[in-house]
Amino acid sequence: MKAILRPVLRHAFTLSAWLTLAAGTVQAAEDRDAKVHNDRMEVAAIGQWIYNDLPQAFAEGARTGKPLLVVLRCVP
Amino acid sequence: MDRFVCVRLVQANALDLSLFQFDFDLTFAVFFLNADRTLYGRFGTRSAQKDAARDISIEGFRLALTGALELHKGYPANKDFLIGKQARAPRFPTPENYPSLAGKYKPTLDYEGKVARSCMHCHQVGEAERAVFRAAHQPIPDEVLRPWPMPNALGLAFDPKAKARVAAVTPGSTAAKDGFKAGDEVLTLAGQPMLSIADAQWVLHTALAPTKLTAEIQRGRRKLKLPLTLPTKWRRAGDISWRPTSWDLRRMATGGLVLEEAGEAERRAAKIPTDELALRVKHVGQYGEHAAGKKAGFKPDDILVALDGQAKRMTESELFTQLLQTKLPGDRVSATVLRSGERVNLELPQQ
Repeated sequence: MKAILRPVLRHAFTLSAWLTLAAGTVQAAEDRDAKVHNDRMEVAAIGQWIYNDLPQAFAEGARTGKPLLVVLRCVP
Repeated sequence: MDRFVCVRLVQANALDLSLFQFDFDLTFAVFFLNADRTLYGRFGTRSAQKDAARDISIEGFRLALTGALELHKGYPANKDFLIGKQARAPRFPTPENYPSLAGKYKPTLDYEGKVARSCMHCHQVGEAERAVFRAAHQPIPDEVLRPWPMPNALGLAFDPKAKARVAAVTPGSTAAKDGFKAGDEVLTLAGQPMLSIADAQWVLHTALAPTKLTAEIQRGRRKLKLPLTLPTKWRRAGDISWRPTSWDLRRMATGGLVLEEAGEAERRAAKIPTDELALRVKHVGQYGEHAAGKKAGFKPDDILVALDGQAKRMTESELFTQLLQTKLPGDRVSATVLRSGERVNLELPQQ
């Protein structure tokens, strides 16, 4: 069962990441300040991302042994 | 997702430039890193203003993620394999250290106030780098004027749905002469493992021409090595007019004029040969140093037909290169425009 689900989960993971990366492009109507505020709230709501805190990310990477995926995204 | 520590950075303020070196004209860029700061690879490519996502895809991103995990699995045994991918010593440790940005931004965003205004944009870093040369009254070198070149400048079109797969080779191009073929998977370039087009761009960005790089290729079942020749001035084949940082180049070189190629019908009507200059003034800046062109007498729809005594055909990108490498702030460059069929002589101020 795991083998069957793996590609699906992998796709879902990538899609989730992609949507997170692309967040901000669908907020054209918002003013620039609102975009920045909303981006922080939306990404926090996903719960999987460290927001604007690189030292925390490095510490988490060292603790868990996981690689870092750092997205630089221009929001406003 | 749980195989990575995921971080989102939304500001260039206080950005560690000894680690984050990327195409500063991007609006999103991805880094795959070890917690000890070793870089596995980059993702994120752009080569046009309107269709900003044409050079990336979810399929390509997935392959880059997988490739990064493989490199992480092999780390640190593969550390030497990754040396070429690491950032070079930056001119300044953070953007705020650039003279043109000093004192303008705080290291953190002002979420209690005007947060957007408190945010330094990545493209400002690229502009600040060029401003160093301009302020020193030095020509802006090709490497700074034309950063992060696309492989297309050598005749290689990469498939955005792959890591670094050649989708097409321009006949007669440098890459064609070197033996590249459509379908080739570039496994390594200059000894660096390729996770994405951005990784190939990094190699090209940091290469000093003229030189000959080595590419390890998978062609069907065969692995082979091909040279990739970078001739002198090869970067100049690329277009930089789409880049957000080109707005500042217009301030410097054209006093805020936006120029575009005149159409063929327009050329015929004005009797301008196809090998001669014909750049139409698409936009005239209105404020500050971007209004210098307007103050010099240029108007929308003027057609630039001679510059500095020459009428050789060139693109706006080539015009930037010519002016920013041969003229300095304070210079005035002779220019002739066609306006309602009449030739008008003006001077283009350099800033």
